[in-house]
Amino acid sequence: MTLARPLDRRTFLRASGVALALPWLESMTPALARASATAPRRMLNICNTLGLYSSSWFPTTAGAGYEATEYLSLIDRHRDQYTLFTGFSHQEQTGRQPHNSEITWLTAARRPGLDGFRNSISVDQVAANHLGYVTRFPSLVLGTATPQSQSYTSSGAMVPAESSPASVFKQLFLQGTPEEVERETRSLNAGASILDRLKSQTTALRGRVSSTDQRTLDAYFDAVRTAEQELGEVQAWQKRPKPVVTDEPPEDLPNPADLVGRVKLMYRLIPLILETDSSRVVSLMIQDHGTVLNVPGVSIDQHGLSHHGQDESKIVQLKLIETELVAAFGELLADLRGRTGADGASLLDSTMVLFGSNLGNANAHTASDLPILLAGGGFDHGQHIVHEGEENAPLCNLFVTMLQNMGVETDAFSQSTGALTWS
Amino acid sequence: MMTMLRMRALAVAALALVPATVSAQPYAADVEPLVRSSCIACHGARTVTPLNFEELDFDLTNRETFRKWERVFERVEAGEMPPRGAPRPDPVIAEKALDALRGALVDASLAARGPQRTPLRRLTRLEYAYTVQDLLGIDEDVARDIGQMLPAEADSGGFDTVAANQTLSPLHVRSYLDAADRALDAALQVGPRPATETRRIDYKASEYLHMISTGKFLGAGIVKKLDDAYAAFYDTGSTYTLHSASEGYEVPSPGRYRVTLDAYAYQASTPVTLTVYRGKMAGITASLDDLIGVFDLVDEAGRTITLETFMRPGELIAPSVAELLPPVDAPPPNHFAPDQNVDNWMGEGIALRSLTIEGPLFDTWPPESTRQLLTGVDFDDTGEIRLTKEPYEHVKDIVARFAPLAFRRPLVEGELEAYAGLAMPFLGDGQPFSEAIRVPLRAVLSAPPFLFHAGEAGDLDDFALATRLSYFLWRSMPDAELSDLARGGRLDDPEVLSAQVDRMLDDPKSQRFITDYAGQALRLYEIRQTSPDASLYPEYDDRLGQAMRLETELFLKELVAENLGVDHLVDSDFTFVNRRLAEHYGVEGVTGQYMRRVELPADSPRGGILAQASIHKITANGTTTSPVPRGNYVLANLLGTPAPPPPADVGSLEPDTRGATTIREQLTAHRANPVCASCHRTIDPPGFALESFDPIGGFRTNYRISGGMQQFGDFTVPLPFEEGPPVDSSGVTPSGDRFGGILEYKQFLLDHEVEKVARHFASQLLVFSTGAEIAFADREAVNRIVARLRGEGYPIRSMIHEVVGSGLFRRQ
Repeated sequence: MTLARPLDRRTFLRASGVALALPWLESMTPALARASATAPRRMLNICNTLGLYSSSWFPTTAGAGYEATEYLSLIDRHRDQYTLFTGFSHQEQTGRQPHNSEITWLTAARRPGLDGFRNSISVDQVAANHLGYVTRFPSLVLGTATPQSQSYTSSGAMVPAESSPASVFKQLFLQGTPEEVERETRSLNAGASILDRLKSQTTALRGRVSSTDQRTLDAYFDAVRTAEQELGEVQAWQKRPKPVVTDEPPEDLPNPADLVGRVKLMYRLIPLILETDSSRVVSLMIQDHGTVLNVPGVSIDQHGLSHHGQDESKIVQLKLIETELVAAFGELLADLRGRTGADGASLLDSTMVLFGSNLGNANAHTASDLPILLAGGGFDHGQHIVHEGEENAPLCNLFVTMLQNMGVETDAFSQSTGALTWS
Repeated sequence: MMTMLRMRALAVAALALVPATVSAQPYAADVEPLVRSSCIACHGARTVTPLNFEELDFDLTNRETFRKWERVFERVEAGEMPPRGAPRPDPVIAEKALDALRGALVDASLAARGPQRTPLRRLTRLEYAYTVQDLLGIDEDVARDIGQMLPAEADSGGFDTVAANQTLSPLHVRSYLDAADRALDAALQVGPRPATETRRIDYKASEYLHMISTGKFLGAGIVKKLDDAYAAFYDTGSTYTLHSASEGYEVPSPGRYRVTLDAYAYQASTPVTLTVYRGKMAGITASLDDLIGVFDLVDEAGRTITLETFMRPGELIAPSVAELLPPVDAPPPNHFAPDQNVDNWMGEGIALRSLTIEGPLFDTWPPESTRQLLTGVDFDDTGEIRLTKEPYEHVKDIVARFAPLAFRRPLVEGELEAYAGLAMPFLGDGQPFSEAIRVPLRAVLSAPPFLFHAGEAGDLDDFALATRLSYFLWRSMPDAELSDLARGGRLDDPEVLSAQVDRMLDDPKSQRFITDYAGQALRLYEIRQTSPDASLYPEYDDRLGQAMRLETELFLKELVAENLGVDHLVDSDFTFVNRRLAEHYGVEGVTGQYMRRVELPADSPRGGILAQASIHKITANGTTTSPVPRGNYVLANLLGTPAPPPPADVGSLEPDTRGATTIREQLTAHRANPVCASCHRTIDPPGFALESFDPIGGFRTNYRISGGMQQFGDFTVPLPFEEGPPVDSSGVTPSGDRFGGILEYKQFLLDHEVEKVARHFASQLLVFSTGAEIAFADREAVNRIVARLRGEGYPIRSMIHEVVGSGLFRRQ
């Protein structure tokens, strides 16, 4: 693997300091924009939880000259901006029910949903913990319907997803009314003093419980202390003005059948999140919600179509939906490419975009041979990397590479056996 | 005859076993003869199974090793190993080995656990919601919303009440603060009373409906104007036109509202069903989110329907006629063509005269929740707080009442001041009392004694026992009576405790236990996870789905109420249906949409949870069924003998709805592999028996296959499904019993497996209520409960009593 612009950790930290004080100026004010070597590193993960029809996605040839397939031809104009991976997955993803692999796409925890299963930290949260509050939000976790997400904390708690673009826009860019701000300030201040008191009360209780339970109380104490620190950061950010953008606030699409529209709204929002440096870590889970989508020609719900049972007429409909989703992703790549800093580097150059699915063959709902694409982030792109062999290669090796690209000093993540390199 | 190879393998095996036998664990000496004589031939170095005794030592502190020996114990004890056809082990050798192994496993299990069986555990998200509802006296729907603010419970595959399955994170702490804020918003309402408004929508006077029914544009004629009402015939009518938002009604503030509908059956010779939804606008139509009422209308006199529901701003009420089907021979009405629209339509319809919405409703103002919380505070005519003494004295009074309730025990030294004192700086800051008082209350709702189930090692004290009992049967905090008994030290008395169990089971709050227990133990919570393919299963809709869930809950509730035996879970002569579900089941003579108990004829495949549509839906993917997840469901959720998880990255079955290959044919190929067969001979048979039920629980003799699609310009329309290959629901159990279908399979279970069902049910009740899994060392306690109930056929209410009276329940 070659990084187009290797990252110097010290300059990176210096750049973070600048970002801390004036988060939005860095990318929006040319005078303050830094050379590309100091540009923040960003991560965006997008999961199509019902898979992508294999024959329309995977090219049959490897290397740089691979022939674009039906779906890939929709984004082929960005070919030099991404790398395709075939033969990658996590091991032991057969869970209680086949959709369990969607909760482990970013974590690679084994046997999801079975027998005392506990999820492990997701790759985006490792990056978010590393960066902390250098931005207003260490990470933004987005969804299309429910609070379900693929982002998990180190203790295995799911970070709830925000599925309202209007609400995200409001949190990021709109100053509240004076009453709202006052109410929030009051709530934060009270919260801070409550947490402080809870620490001493927890300590007082500690002596009255068994050693096993002391460990649980200690975990609670640690959680309170971390929450207190986070609240402090939130209070500090609350005092700073939010970045100003000229874009109109998005209007939520209440119709759940308009999944494609909802995804497109998020795809318009995500470049704003990244460009204003409101967060450097964004994850989006694209989820079916059991409705017939309003894509012309579609008459069966997406989940039902994904279990097409080799029924040609269903496959046709499934492809209508997935074509829309892949094409929308192409628009996102174009948008990220189009936003350039003073040095001429694009937002995409500083943003790794992972796009794919937790399901390989969605008809059987298997979690191997996943469709995976990595765009941007300054990597050498343009190839189709194929892992041959009976067993899939660990997708986590790609995650290690992504974490390193984020400036995390690590050579392991979950099931990894090393960093993934290609040239 | 033993080959040289086999002999060499034995010699190696003996070597591998020797160090363990002669060192720390003398019991290994008693186990080894059995392994040598009956196991090692197949489970030696060259084994194709996951069990290889040559690599298995006796270090029972290792979790994996423990599990393997536990499984060895189970399979030998059950007589499943050595397998059928192999020589039986010498009974003396086998018994000695089993005794030694049992003792070793119990010791290791106790050692691994430490002094207490249940570690400190927190309220689940649902328990939190029920507790704030009861503690603060707020509306159930509001409390449920607030519970949803907390992080989701981990998908652990077990009960969320089990400490080992719970997570705790800074995210939880921050959500507790936020959720407490919202709960206090709901409970504390002071200031001017919001006006209660009544809005009557008189449909015949509606300008919108007039325009819709007479307009000369696309979509005209989806409702029909009558003298006193508008009639609707299919769903479009209600999602576009008849709901409260299209008549301009807006919910002024969150609260309880009374909804009254005046409607009658139109052109109907059979009862027609009016359903009422709470929803929101979704584009130009209404989304029908929550089904809040189902009513049958039988004649043109009609009826007035009243229901109460919680509503939030932005929500609407939508009466829906979605269940109506066109007459068999009629073409569908074409509302694009004026001469074919509903004016000339002779199908069954529902006529709506009026919709009245009244609210928000309050019994008193400020509401009771506020008066209770702010004990000792007066209110003036405008609903504002009037203090009668020093503000901080009020704070102390309020916290002194609230905190012991929230903590489910008396306060200890210093706690009152620690929490009440939090209000001081805010009072000093000149903030209004109503703001300052929130700070200590919010702290109490985020504090460990509120969030965690108390309990020290050893016997539970009375307060901890009351809490455990209350969270078991009510999923919430103890009420005044239970707390009083705890305070008086009376719960030690077995008769008092038993009377409390009966009182609590007879209380409506026990519905929460039924819902949550069935939701998790029977996986009923997953019932809405998939939506059936509308072209293959057009008869499915929300109402049917809701009736399915209710059937299983009501059935379980009846078993508890009537103290019926666990054999009813396997097969029963009654179930619960409404007209919709009765039609789905082919049960005749049921009118009306309320659920009621019906007796089933002897030859009915229904009866027992395995024949309930909810279970069939949960174990299907919406489009197809497979015997594998269904077989696993029977093993894990009914018999308590789950199959081991499949080997890593095992191949999957590829569903095929074209009718080319059946899942059974694919499974037969799969079972040709002996490794696969070792588990699938157990998994598949119950799954085969359930093949008679389609993904929505309909009884089938043939599979349905897709009829394909047809293109009409821009529209793609699915064609009707076709009849596919016949269903074969026969099978052979691992014990060699043949069954021809579901009836014979149920009979097999009744004849041979009822005790397993009882043991599993008792275990699950214990796990759910105590928050700890049944370890090997706990099996004896479970066996005792099962043995005591055997003579009576394991009645379920008695089982709950036995569980509560057991040492496992009474000790931490």
